[in-house]
Amino acid sequence: MKHFGVKFAAMALAVGLGATPALAEKVKFEFWHGLSGDLGERVKETCDKFNASQSDYEIVCTSQNGYPETIQNAIAAYRAKKNPAIVQVFDVGTLDLMLSGAYIPAKKLMEDNGYKIDWGNYFGGIARYYADSKGVLNSFPFNSSTAMFYYNIDAFTKAGIDGAPQTWEDVEADARKLKSAGFDCPFGFSFDSWATVEQFSAIHNQPIATKNNGYDGLDTELVFNKTKVVDQLTFFKKMTDEGLFQVKTAQLGMDVVPAFASQTCQMIQSSIADHGTIGKTIKPGTKWAVTMLPVWKGTERKNSLVGGASLWVLKNRPEAEYKGAAAFLNFIAQPDMVEWWSTVTGYIPVTKTGFDAMKANGFYEKPQFAGREKAIESLTYTPAGDLTRGIRVGGFPQIRKEISNAMEGIFFGKMTVQAGLDQAVERGNAIIRRFEKTYAGQTLN
Amino acid sequence: MNKRAVFKSRWLPILFALPQLLLIFFFFYWPATSVLTWAFSLEPAFGGAGDRLFVGWDNFREVFADREYWQSVTLSLVFAFTATALSMFIAFVLAICVDRQLKGSGLFRFFYIWPYAIAAPAVGLAFRFIFAPESGLIAIVNTWSPDLWNPAKFGSHAMILVIICFAWKWIGYNFIFMTAGLQSIPRSLIEASSMDGSGPLRRAIDVQIPLLAPTLFFLLVLNLTESFVGPDTYGIVDLTTEGGPNGATNVMVYRIVSEAFQGLNYSGAASQSLILIGLIMVFTFIQFRFVERRVHYK
Amino acid sequence: MIERTPILNMLTYFIMIVGLLLILGPFWMIFTASTQSLAQVNAVPFNLLPGADFLHNLQAAWHRANLGPAMLNSLIMALLVMAGKIVLASISAFAIVYFRSPLRHVFFWLVFMTLMLPLEVRVVPTYNIAADVFEPVRWLIQALTGIEFSLQWNLLNSYSGLVLPVIATATGTFLYRQFYMTLPDELTEAAKMDGARPLRFFIDILLPLSRTNMLALATIMFVYAWNQYLWPKLMTTEADYQTAMVAMTTLVPNINSLPEWNVSMAGALIIMLPPLIIVAVLQRWFVRGLVSTEK
Repeated sequence: MKHFGVKFAAMALAVGLGATPALAEKVKFEFWHGLSGDLGERVKETCDKFNASQSDYEIVCTSQNGYPETIQNAIAAYRAKKNPAIVQVFDVGTLDLMLSGAYIPAKKLMEDNGYKIDWGNYFGGIARYYADSKGVLNSFPFNSSTAMFYYNIDAFTKAGIDGAPQTWEDVEADARKLKSAGFDCPFGFSFDSWATVEQFSAIHNQPIATKNNGYDGLDTELVFNKTKVVDQLTFFKKMTDEGLFQVKTAQLGMDVVPAFASQTCQMIQSSIADHGTIGKTIKPGTKWAVTMLPVWKGTERKNSLVGGASLWVLKNRPEAEYKGAAAFLNFIAQPDMVEWWSTVTGYIPVTKTGFDAMKANGFYEKPQFAGREKAIESLTYTPAGDLTRGIRVGGFPQIRKEISNAMEGIFFGKMTVQAGLDQAVERGNAIIRRFEKTYAGQTLN
Repeated sequence: MNKRAVFKSRWLPILFALPQLLLIFFFFYWPATSVLTWAFSLEPAFGGAGDRLFVGWDNFREVFADREYWQSVTLSLVFAFTATALSMFIAFVLAICVDRQLKGSGLFRFFYIWPYAIAAPAVGLAFRFIFAPESGLIAIVNTWSPDLWNPAKFGSHAMILVIICFAWKWIGYNFIFMTAGLQSIPRSLIEASSMDGSGPLRRAIDVQIPLLAPTLFFLLVLNLTESFVGPDTYGIVDLTTEGGPNGATNVMVYRIVSEAFQGLNYSGAASQSLILIGLIMVFTFIQFRFVERRVHYK
Repeated sequence: MIERTPILNMLTYFIMIVGLLLILGPFWMIFTASTQSLAQVNAVPFNLLPGADFLHNLQAAWHRANLGPAMLNSLIMALLVMAGKIVLASISAFAIVYFRSPLRHVFFWLVFMTLMLPLEVRVVPTYNIAADVFEPVRWLIQALTGIEFSLQWNLLNSYSGLVLPVIATATGTFLYRQFYMTLPDELTEAAKMDGARPLRFFIDILLPLSRTNMLALATIMFVYAWNQYLWPKLMTTEADYQTAMVAMTTLVPNINSLPEWNVSMAGALIIMLPPLIIVAVLQRWFVRGLVSTEK
């Protein structure tokens, strides 16, 4: 087949309608991310730092306002061949990307562009999430976190509670004390499956899906309707009915983080990444702290899951942009950048050198950052096992939506906990089956 | 559509038809073929290397086996019929009143048309505030007893909210057509009936409503179509409830767009699209038949 | 009316006033909310009297949603769509009515059938084609000749992209067709007798005659285009091409911010004003346009 490169001035067609972009000297390339608000500002700063650090490339960072939106928009743009060079994809979107064939593997990109990266420098638990079976990284760990438990010490003192809750039994007892001390919302929670279903399952060593959470094959099936998750949601439901727990969602006007920062609710579970935001937005002088997620009494605690997102380099861009992308990815992996990023956000450092630099600086001893080391403790509580290394299930972003839908039904509607979870599992499995059929013949590597 | 006197030219009609032909080819029919292919295959989210997997009617089977799909159909029906009935009833009462041509009627007529100018998303945003549970006009009921009204929490409240938005916006449109229809009723007919001694109310029932029936029927079909598949429904739902809570306002047209863009299930969305296109064809057919018949009235 | 019916008249006025409250009430709420401070707008019960923060809120909304460029984009889009639809409608209908070719039926039906393909049901592939308009052309050429071209034309994030996919018009074409059909055949015959070519006839006679039609169509199409939402929302990922309707969504009070409904409503007010002015000022034409396109 012959190939004619027809240099057709498409702009001639668009005269009067289309706009002609000005020619820039620097190579411009795009980076789409999902962080907004305070964290979004920090990403912007990262990009500004990169642009100021050299003069060959210019990165344009655009927030898509949310992780699910980012992957959706990136896919739409990729289909239209107008995708950004770099896109941030959250943890559970990893498999969708891995099988897409739409990306350039991290290792290949860096080798092609002459960067020497010490891949062993990434924390094992984090790297494993984004690597293939041989341990070769497909994407760059960028912002890593885990779910934590936040509580308001001032409120605890007022209610006569001493120390952080270690177990859910403690949480119930503390909630009762807080309620009788006049706090309207002792514990606030949202319909986010990440903390309530996924992290809960990991630290209680419960499977979310068969085949070791999908790591051993695309023919995995969801099982969280038969595990301790049922008891956990039943407990949440009972507490909610008693007025001890309250639903705080964006649709109701306030999500958990602002609910905690405004001291509406005295306890929440949320990402360690919100540590920075809460510190900045809570009334100065308020005493609050963060601790590991509670477990049920008598549970042998396991490590929690790595959350957050990684950076993928997508195909379809001109070669020059990849040089820029490689330069940017190399830039943010430098120890001083890792340290800065972890300081201004609450994300944990993704490389060993970054972590060491932070420890050497006495970072974790500073009062405003106290507690962040607990996230690393939570992540490394036990070595990552079959059920605690991650979730590798196709279409998991949509499954999360099914879970939050079911929770809406359970907490707002008339659905029982079991019926709600059964529904989420049934609909989630349909998504997995479709994914399996779509990528039939491909094996997990 | 035949004129006796026409021109003869080979190139001019082609030249004149061409722009529109190209536009509908590129932006209507070509995309429609994609919808058709996807509906019978499994389209990977990122697009595939041409390896589309033909699956026959599987996608349709999956859609029909999905309880949530039928819930969505039910919701669409409830939404369409309630919103249409509400909007048409209010517009009809107002049109009958204005048609009495009392002093100052013109002023009322002037304002009654306004809602049609407002974009559906703007209507959604405004009513979301007016009916917000924590502030706005209705919030006061929640001070009597908490959660008496909360569209973020209760599916039925959310449904009421989107119905109100749609009905309000379409009052303007329905009113325009009803007044036009009423005006076209010959005054002599009304005067004749008043000579017979029947009062204004009697006349409305005996003369105006029967003669307005064709207009009412036309509006009924149009309102139903628009509320079922129209962009207004999408805009309103997107700005108020986003299909929630727990899918309580996830009407068909909203479901298709979110299934494709958020669910990344292009094939499922495409098969639902085809079903919807089929429904639109039924509606259009009914309307067309009616338009044909109406010509005979005249 | 001839007879006196004081009670019925009073009832009529009563209903009309209730109706007026129903219609104008929301407008009044939007307006008062946009004049109040954050505390006032969130007060329960809602205060129906205006506050003093109108200008401040307008400014806040204007800056926050970047309404300057967005309103300009909306205006450009609405005017281009309006003009485009009128041109397309008038020439398409001319081709259908004034020439006798069997193909005109095919053309008419192709245009008519687009009514059954609303954007909502073909949204993803339409997005794809807007990104690469010549995809079908390349595909066709390759299928026919085996030659691969790399001809490309991307509409995303451009005015062409905002306008072209929504510019095809079945209703406009019907309206013009109907108008041409009402013109007497004698007109055409006389013109032909004078030796007028079809193009001359179209420009010199038909277009001036259709002025009222044009104005009516223009008003409804302006409102239609200004109020477009789904397409601009999907098509524009760059802020430079955002339309006002899309910009408005950034004013919805969201998760982690204050419930600034006063600013939201001020923004809504600004954005709904242009079509409202058209409908209020050109109401006669607007009504005429609506009624005649739907018959």
